This record gives sequence, structure tokens and C-alpha cells, in this order.
Amino acid sequence: MKKLKEFILNSRPWKSFFRHGWPDNPLDRSLIMTTNIFFHLHPVRVNKKSIKASYSMGLGIITTVMYILLSLTGIMLMFYYVPSVETAYFDIVTLQTKVPFGQLLRNMHRWGAHMMVLTAILHMARVFYTGAYKPPREFNWVIGVILLIMTFVGSFTGYLLPWDQLAFWAITVGTSVAAYEPLMGKTIQKLLLGGPEVGQAALTRFYALHIMVVPAVLFLLIALHIWRVRKDGGLAANEVKDEVEAEDGK
Amino acid sequence: MANKEQSFTKPSGKTYSLVEIVKAPTTMVDKGPDNTIFAFPIVAILELIIALGSTLFLVLFSLLKDAPLEELANPLITTDPAKAPWYFMGLQEMLEHMHPTLAGIILPVLAVGFLISIPYIDYSREGAGVWFTSKRGKRIVGWTALYTTIVMSGFVLLDNAFPPRELFRDVLPNLVTQSILPGGVMALLVILPAIVLWKSKEGSNPREIMLVLFTVLFFTAVVLTLTGFLFRGPGFELFLPWAMPGGYNPFDGL
Ligand code: HEM
Repeated sequence: MKKLKEFILNSRPWKSFFRHGWPDNPLDRSLIMTTNIFFHLHPVRVNKKSIKASYSMGLGIITTVMYILLSLTGIMLMFYYVPSVETAYFDIVTLQTKVPFGQLLRNMHRWGAHMMVLTAILHMARVFYTGAYKPPREFNWVIGVILLIMTFVGSFTGYLLPWDQLAFWAITVGTSVAAYEPLMGKTIQKLLLGGPEVGQAALTRFYALHIMVVPAVLFLLIALHIWRVRKDGGLAANEVKDEVEAEDGK
Repeated sequence: MANKEQSFTKPSGKTYSLVEIVKAPTTMVDKGPDNTIFAFPIVAILELIIALGSTLFLVLFSLLKDAPLEELANPLITTDPAKAPWYFMGLQEMLEHMHPTLAGIILPVLAVGFLISIPYIDYSREGAGVWFTSKRGKRIVGWTALYTTIVMSGFVLLDNAFPPRELFRDVLPNLVTQSILPGGVMALLVILPAIVLWKSKEGSNPREIMLVLFTVLFFTAVVLTLTGFLFRGPGFELFLPWAMPGGYNPFDGL
């Protein structure tokens, strides 16, 4: 067994994938953060306070995880779904009744979307109440606000795709608000729907936004957002002076 | 100090060395390496736990509850009530109480503008990274949350019982009943707690004003969203969620 392990660890493919062993000393632990693209989004060292569950509640991470799960389940949904007013609804019915785990797949995508909106809102509240928007994190806060809006747009555009009564009327109500913008309202609404009312043109546009535009923008902004956390010196809890901690009686 | 020295000694495998420490403010001002630990592997492990935990939660929830699917879309048959997705129900609720341009465009734009400008109004670095900044901050948030919940629920109920745009239809112009009146009331309700804090004996700082304004905004959104999502039934009338006529269940529309 030990020999096998040894053999695998020394084999060429393994070494080409994992160039270093498990980082067990300070130098390697620093180096892995700069050599691995995923770890590179993190700071090398973190303050003990900033990884306490009671500080961030992990809400940003959970939101990121939801984004990843939505991307994975979304791609699988695309295998079965065609955005046409003739077939879309029946694609969903078939998915739920005939495709193995189809119902579970759709459930995960739907509930995951609701959860991402919810955790993004809660994450914003936690960032606000911990004062983590203060300099030098202003820019990241602004990116956050855009992320929140894009999360809404992503969820809203997906809402239309099942093409059932719920979808149709929710989007009809939702987009009718845009028309009240005094200067360009009617134009904006037309641009969104591709016509005077929710129909095939609207479905096509919402589909393109939902599967391409919004996910791509979210991907870039989330990467930028998390990378900025490192550039801004880790989480804001890093900056708490020890006197403050002493005052709390910790 | 000894600790610092230690972490800077040159390990054998190193091909570079510490030449000089430049004294310049960084985001870690006044921080030695003492309070910090290596992110690897602890952060990776924590993130993995969170990822697995939330995935498990989502899978279990999806096994227990199915996503809704109604009849095929039909532009000729309106659903009653016709509701937007839950996170827009706050907006749709506001449409019941004021002119659409105000409820759907002006107020949302103001809200987003406010959110974006928060760090540029409250730019002191004091107290970053501490929940509510101070004991006093915590009290301010608690009272503001209570105030907002009561006042906004009151606004919804009162306006619902005595809608000015219907009561004064022939007396006052639409602009007054649909925009100036509800807009003015809203503005007053939002500004009031900030003024109380500002004029208080102890005075206030920008962070505390922001705590008040954000809490008003956040809890107003919560009250309006819950009202629209849970308490609005057929005809978009107010009902108790468990006593909806016609077997309407707000959760069926999620
Ligand atoms: C798609 C939505 C979002 C994702 C995926 C996301 C992700 C993250 C992650 C992973 C972190 C690291 C700390 C943590 O887990 O809490 C973080 C921190 C942060 N986020 Fe977000 N975020 C999102 C939305 C927002 C929003 C809406 C805001 C504010 C309006 C915001 C502002 C910030 C700020 C200022 C930090 C630094 C916090 C600190 O230093 O304590 N983010 N975000």
C-alpha cells in the first residue's frame, strides 16, 4: 500500500498536476497562495477574528456557492430546454415527469436562485452592520451593490422561462413598471420585451440574458469582488484594534 | 518582538532575503503578524465545510418541496392576484400607495443611490469590522428597526383604509394625492429618526446616521415585501395569510 502511494506520488502525471507536496511549513503555505489560482484569491495570512462564524456568517461564501450550483444545474437544464413559446412549457413538464432526477434538477435550480437572492441581501446587511464598507473597501461595496442588482436580474429573467401562468404574469407585472419612467420608459420596456407585450421575442431576450449575459457579468464581478477582499487587506475584522477587543471583555 | 524576528529568519530553501522593512501605511497598519494565522489550510477547510453544508441543504430542500408549475401561459386569462417575484413585491406593494413613477422609478433609484453613497458619506475608518460599531450603535439599530416596523405597517394599513387618492379625488389634483402626499409622508418617516438622533443630547456621527438610514431602508423593504408577498390576496386586497379566500396560498407562487 505504502509502495503504491509512493509510486503514485512520484509518477509523472501526479507531479505535473501537484507540483508540491502538502504545504506544512510557513514558506510553502505562503507559496501555495500565490501559485494556485483559487488560493490566489485569498490572502496568505488571515486574522483569527475574521474567520469566526459570528463575524461574516459565511454569507458571501454561501452566495458564491449558490452561484456555482446554479451554473452547474443551469447547464444541465439547457440540455432539455428550448426557449420557444410552443415548446418551453412542455419541455419543463417532460423534464419533471420523464427525465431521471429532472424534477430534482429543476427544484435545485429554482430554490437555489431564491436562496442566492436571499443570502446576497443578508450578506449586504452583515457588511453594512459590521461597517465593512468603510475605506479602503468603498469600491468593493459599490461592486457589491451592482452584484445584488445583477442577482435580481438573473433571477427575474429566469422566472419567465417555464412559460407558465406564474411566469407570464409575474414578468408582465414586473416589466409594466418600467413603462412609468417618464422619459424613456416605453422604450426601455420595448427593448426588454422586444415588442409591446410578453411573447416569443421577450422569451428569446430573457433567455439570452439569463444564460449568457447575466452569468458572465456575475462571474467577472464575483471574481473581482473576492479578489478585492484580499487587496483591501482581508476582511474588515482584521483592522479591529486589540483595545476594542479588550473593551468587549474578551 | 521575538516572534517577529523568528518569522523573518531565512529558511534554507529560500532564494531571496529580507532586505529592508519599509515604513509605510498598509491596510494592516499597527498589526504585527501576531494575530494572524496562515490561511492554508484552515480557510480552505472552512470554505469546503460551508460549500458542502449549503449544497446538502439545497439538495434536501429540493427533495422535500417541488418547484411550482402552473398552467401553460395564456395572455387572455389574468391570474388573480398577479404578483411579481417575491423580491420585487416591496415595489409592487408601493405601487398600491403612490404614483407609479414615484414608487417604481424615483424611490428605487434614490434607494440604490443611497446604498452606493454610504461609504462616501461615512468615510471614517473608525469602528470598521465590529458589529454595529458600539453598544450605542446596537441600541440605535434596535430602536430604529422597531420604529420602522411599526410606522411602515401603520402607513400601509392607514393608506389602505383611507386612500387619499380616492377620498380627495374631486377636491385635490392627482399630483397631490398620488405623489406629493405619499411621497412627503414617506420622506418624513425616513428622516424623522435621523433628526431625533442628530438633535439628541449626545450628538451623533456619520456612522450612526448611516445606521439609522440603512435600518429604515432595510426594514421598510422587509415590511413592504412581506405585506405584498404574504398579506395580499385576490384583487390585491389585504388578508391574513392563513385566511386567504379561494384557497390562494402565497407560497405557491415562489
Ligand atoms: C452575488 C453577490 C455577492 C457575492 C457572491 C459576494 C461574495 C463575497 C465574499 C465571498 C466575501 C468574503 C467575505 C464573506 O464571505 O462575507 C465578500 C465580502 C464583501 N462583500 Fe460581497 N458578495 C456579494 C454581494 C455583495 C453586496 C450586495 C455587497 C454590498 C452592497 C457586498 C459587499 C462586500 C464587502 C464590502 C465585503 C468585504 C467585507 C469585509 O471586509 O468584512 N457584497 N463578498
